[in-house]
Amino acid sequence: MPVIVHIPGALREFAAGCATVEIAFSNGTVTDVLTLLWTLHPGLRDRLVNEQGQVRQHINIFVGNENIRYTGGLASPVADGTQISIVPAVSGGRG
Amino acid sequence: MIGQVLGHCRIVAKIGEGGMGVVYRAYDEVLHRDVAIKVVRKDAGFDASAGQNLLQEARASSSLAHPNICTIYEVGETGGDLYIVMELVEGKSLHAMSAAGGLPPESILRYGVQIASALTRAHDRGIVHRDLKTSNIVVTSDGLVKVLDFGLAKRVGGGILDAPTMTFSTVQGSSSVSGTLPYMAPEILRGDPTDARSDLWALGVVLYELASGGLPFEGRTGFEISSSIMREIPKPLGPPVPPGLWAIIQRCLAKEPMQRYQRASEVQAALEAVQSGAIVTAAPDTDQPAPPRISTMHIVRHAQVKKGDFLLLVGTTKGAFILRSNAQRTRWELGGPYFHGHAVYALAYDARAGRRRIWASTSSYWGTLLRSSDDFGKSWTNPQQAPVRFPADTGVSLKNIWQITLGPQDEPDVLYCGVEPAALFETRDGGETWSLVRGLFDHPHRPRWMPGNGGLALHSIVLDPSNKLRMYIAISSGGVYRTEDGGANWTAQNRGIRAIFMPDKYPEFGQCVHKIALHPARPERLFLQNHWGIYRSDNYAENWTDIANGVPSDFGFPVVMHPRNPDCVYVIPVESDEFRCACDGRLRVYRTRNAGASWDPLMRGLPQKQAYETVVRDAMTVDSYDPAGIYFGTRSGQLFGSRDEGKTWQMIHDGLPSIVCVRSAMINDGSVMPARPSLKEPPATVSRSKSASRQKSRRSSQSSKR
Repeated sequence: MPVIVHIPGALREFAAGCATVEIAFSNGTVTDVLTLLWTLHPGLRDRLVNEQGQVRQHINIFVGNENIRYTGGLASPVADGTQISIVPAVSGGRG
Repeated sequence: MIGQVLGHCRIVAKIGEGGMGVVYRAYDEVLHRDVAIKVVRKDAGFDASAGQNLLQEARASSSLAHPNICTIYEVGETGGDLYIVMELVEGKSLHAMSAAGGLPPESILRYGVQIASALTRAHDRGIVHRDLKTSNIVVTSDGLVKVLDFGLAKRVGGGILDAPTMTFSTVQGSSSVSGTLPYMAPEILRGDPTDARSDLWALGVVLYELASGGLPFEGRTGFEISSSIMREIPKPLGPPVPPGLWAIIQRCLAKEPMQRYQRASEVQAALEAVQSGAIVTAAPDTDQPAPPRISTMHIVRHAQVKKGDFLLLVGTTKGAFILRSNAQRTRWELGGPYFHGHAVYALAYDARAGRRRIWASTSSYWGTLLRSSDDFGKSWTNPQQAPVRFPADTGVSLKNIWQITLGPQDEPDVLYCGVEPAALFETRDGGETWSLVRGLFDHPHRPRWMPGNGGLALHSIVLDPSNKLRMYIAISSGGVYRTEDGGANWTAQNRGIRAIFMPDKYPEFGQCVHKIALHPARPERLFLQNHWGIYRSDNYAENWTDIANGVPSDFGFPVVMHPRNPDCVYVIPVESDEFRCACDGRLRVYRTRNAGASWDPLMRGLPQKQAYETVVRDAMTVDSYDPAGIYFGTRSGQLFGSRDEGKTWQMIHDGLPSIVCVRSAMINDGSVMPARPSLKEPPATVSRSKSASRQKSRRSSQSSKR
């Protein structure tokens, strides 16, 4: 079963218009999946992580329903068949 | 020529003929190997210099030892004919192989990886193919790809290339463009400078042709083909072409080079990823069962800009706008919003070297990018990789770009960016590549700079027009720094500037400087708006003197110079650090015409009742008309302008998002802000009658868009 990465609308122009990218993958980490993802779509890299390779402050990455901030960050394990979602943070109050 | 000896090669048989010359099979009698010799005919239409270029390129290409590149062994001349001795490649061209229809995906990927690998080697050595096409890629009997004619297409004049090749002259005349039309990238057709990314476009065309058996951009005439290349989207490739391969082809065929893969190695890695099966599918959005999502239509109106127009570029916390007017500056047309929801803190207009380029920094969840438009906002670059970025070893990452400053007029490819966290970046190739100015970044003071309210920002970059090695920058909170050697070494220049928030009120550095300004006519003199205090230096920032003589508050953000009078400076005071709003709710600009000895309020036409407005550091600018125009935008989204040096003001636009940057641009014959410095007082600002002036200002407020 491939891992399915859901691409948010704002980034689809960097993923050849795709809403999802399926990645054949057995076991590994979020970093492994993302590395494959931006091998195919290099423009996604700088939108998701900063120069230091850290996930941008207002971007959340979910493995299944878990935000990786609470499960080990980019080193969080990914099993095959998992769905990965890239979601900008909901922020309010600043107008 | 059969039987003849060229160099140490005896010609055995003729194996082909093209517009460029004849190709023979030959035998190298010294090294005992079969070779191919291309003899370029005398009448092939090149002059001595083109011939010399061909020789140079062939020599450079001969250094490309790579299994997928047809090696050039030798170049020489015989009886006025040029000849090139090269590896004898026997096999079938990809053109012949794909003519009957598309190849199986496994073959496309296998060949594609090898072509990309050949391009990677060549590009790493600075050699661009410029005429990559299926007819000059050969597959040998053991399945090895060989790319032919590497580097031969570069700088070759009319008629010298092979028969199917069409050669076009650019408008510049001196440089000519070569390549085969259906494989030519849009930038080549536009006459823009080209680089290795044009080869990646051609690779995309080759991959498309291998996958479908046809070309992505077709037409019956050269004009139709060019038009298709410039405008059309190729017909999608469905199964059996894997979606991953189709995605790679699409990215190679992006019309803007910045939106393609930037390096051949990236294409190679992507093809290998698809080949390994790691990426199995990539379903286009349209094939998805429609998920519940909100689709937003962004309606962007473009200003129709023409020669002689005047523009205000306005950056806000939610996007950028372009306001167009003419020299009268009474009626305004609004273009935008550009970059929906992205904060635009820095804008610049670059008219050097015949450009008409708007630069913008955009900042959002997805990071901070430097982008540009050459068509007044109709299209913007959207680079895959952030052009301004900290090297990994610095341990820091970019938060915002606060300032874009053009380099000297005679160095049109030089630009600077001031960023947060405080650092200076420089480009010397017109923005293609940016580098961190290490001399400042490695300054021993840097760890002790403290972020101000807006973050630790390098927000001011001031070049000394009389000395290219001297430059000033200002940091909030770090103070003013100056280099005298083009950026290698920097010294703190804050003597006399107060830091009210520090135990030592006059420290060497650490001042919260809000903005600095310099007039080209008096490069030794600078003006400075501080976090409390307005200052002037008359000796290249060696010492500063407080000149806030008569302003209601010496707290404020912007400070701008009159375009011609070096004694004339504008500031907009706010009440205090705690209450950063117009003093007493009266929006007033203050002007000095004697270098700070006294200041006059300018308020006619500005709101004077309960107007608690804030004008931030880059939200004020001038034009270079005579009399000069002054413009500023407020945090509440109001844009004001004066056409008479500040005497009277009109609201240009109300209801914009919070304005953080205002810049002006005169669209003329390529020069902006022509410097006409004078040391004397400007002439009387109003030569026309007062009633005419009033009439004009009334018209202005009526016609401004709300």
